[in-house]
Amino acid sequence: MLASGLAANRTLAVLQTHTTAASIITTTSPQVKLPGTIYVSQEGSIYAISGAKVRRLALPSGGVWTQPRVLADGSLLVIRRFDQYSDLYHVSASGHILAQMTSDDQATGNATLQLDHWILWPAIGPDGTTVYFATDSPKPAPNKSYEVDFSLWSSPLSTPFTIGDTGVSGGTRWSVPDLYTGGDIEPVPLPDGGVLYSSYANTGKGTVVTVLGLQTGPTSPMKALTTPQQDCGAPAVAADGVTVAMVCTNAGQTANLEIATLQGNTLGPLHVVVANCLCNSPSWSSTGDDLLYMNASNPDGNFGLWYIADAGGVHPGTARRVSDSSVDLDATSAAAWSSR
Amino acid sequence: MAAGFLISILTGVLLYFLPALQVALRDTGQVNTSLGGSAQLKPVSASENLSTTSPFTLLLLGSDSDSKFNGDYLTQSMILTRVDPATKHVTMLSIPRDLWVRLCTGANGKIDQAFLHGGAQCAIQTVERDLNVHIDYYAWIGLQGLVSVLNELGGVNVIANNPVMDDYYPADLSGGNPYDYERILVLPGAQHMSGTLALEYVRARHDDAYGDFARSQRQQQILIALRAKTKYVSIADIPTLATSLGANFQTDMSIGQVSGLLPIAGSVPLSAIAQVVLLPPYTSSVYVGGQDALMPNWALIRPEVAKYFPVAS
Repeated sequence: MLASGLAANRTLAVLQTHTTAASIITTTSPQVKLPGTIYVSQEGSIYAISGAKVRRLALPSGGVWTQPRVLADGSLLVIRRFDQYSDLYHVSASGHILAQMTSDDQATGNATLQLDHWILWPAIGPDGTTVYFATDSPKPAPNKSYEVDFSLWSSPLSTPFTIGDTGVSGGTRWSVPDLYTGGDIEPVPLPDGGVLYSSYANTGKGTVVTVLGLQTGPTSPMKALTTPQQDCGAPAVAADGVTVAMVCTNAGQTANLEIATLQGNTLGPLHVVVANCLCNSPSWSSTGDDLLYMNASNPDGNFGLWYIADAGGVHPGTARRVSDSSVDLDATSAAAWSSR
Repeated sequence: MAAGFLISILTGVLLYFLPALQVALRDTGQVNTSLGGSAQLKPVSASENLSTTSPFTLLLLGSDSDSKFNGDYLTQSMILTRVDPATKHVTMLSIPRDLWVRLCTGANGKIDQAFLHGGAQCAIQTVERDLNVHIDYYAWIGLQGLVSVLNELGGVNVIANNPVMDDYYPADLSGGNPYDYERILVLPGAQHMSGTLALEYVRARHDDAYGDFARSQRQQQILIALRAKTKYVSIADIPTLATSLGANFQTDMSIGQVSGLLPIAGSVPLSAIAQVVLLPPYTSSVYVGGQDALMPNWALIRPEVAKYFPVAS
């Protein structure tokens, strides 16, 4: 059911007055032609935007392909999500599978679905040989407890790894989540070896909020870089290693896309670059200050890919929509921008 | 922890697009007592004022209506709503399903049993007496109707507050054993939600620090997001929507009372929507009558409710 939920979009809208069925991105032309290749997710497929051209990666059918990340050689890490679990794949730029990094389909051999696991938000470490990610393993008492929250792990990319009931084999655990909140997600490895991420916490006052958390090592305590009131998440760090884009809701029902500078273990003042939006999933160009993000131009609009040139600079450009307005992209999947 | 709940989302749909349905009916000269299937709508009377401007209260009721219940529905969601068309202010109070109250039958029990024992009238009487409020109308929606209508409307755009995860989510809409479980995960952040995904977002509760309270907040969030959909509903859509609702909708609202809502639905600013959830100390967890429940602190609840809702006469 989940997969169908993810795949569903405005094409389901059959109201006769609601005629704006979403287009598949390959049937449209990008409104802004950017250098390199940008990978996005729509309706369970990964698409590559190269200038004026858009192509669909030839990934196997089944499941929802999402959250692409580009490796230095131009290949990709991609999540393949099914109803009850997800797996990490290493694929070529054309979509050919190079390696299935996890194989967590417990459902095929074990009817206890609570033993299945999610792996999401892969991120490549500064050495290019380690993948960071969030997974709901370990569960304290699988099949005996309602508890299921994300924690952060890292693992070598050189070989597939197993996500089991007690953790990730051969992996390194980075965080211990606040229980019953959703936990810790969206890791961003930093050049100095630390990890920036979104950490969800129970306020004890009837709400769950998120802060940007920073850890200098796998066992170090988390330092909150933003306040619970700011409610910031979805961090993305530019190539300079210090410019951070994030989405903050201030506990409201609209968001701001904001930027700040990471100075050691402290985050500088936040600057709003897009206000009162439905922004999500910021990501940076591989070489510079250009920022991509997902946004719907109005409360009922399609989620598109947007671009701000020199977003981290003194004079950022105007926000421009890259994808056609008829295209509805997966807003929970950050675009991956390759220089190739 | 019986599987299944829901939701007033679709009751929220009613709040927002029923006006459109009503206006469409009026415009076409049709006055139907049914929108198709068993969906019920009161006919308009000539004496009714079609330009409603007076504040009114509406009790939104949501039930799991899958095969587990065979027509004996609890109300997994209750949202007491006050709409002031003149000022375009809306207040939504989520009443916890586990609230331990005196039911209309005279017995004590969870408030979600009121609908089971006496339908909407018992639910209204129970809420009116226990919260000391006056309720003008009600609308009830079943789970499957909610999903269908949300899909017909093309889903909603929502900022999910946090990862919503549940390893024991009821697998009662997929046609198999309605007592089975499935795993669900709704990712955080702004996104487009189909009917099914929105249902998962507002229905999941097991891995949630605030359980039913958090779910109530999410239900209200979806209701608010639905405001953007009113502009898409027109006369031509009525057959489709009515088919979607089928037997999953009941209300005592009439055309006259609701027609004035249409211009409000899409124009109420977020700042004019008050959302109220009865967290501790307004309620406290207890074990009573052989079950987990929430004990109301009426000394706190009633004055708070009186700030937003008319006191029962």
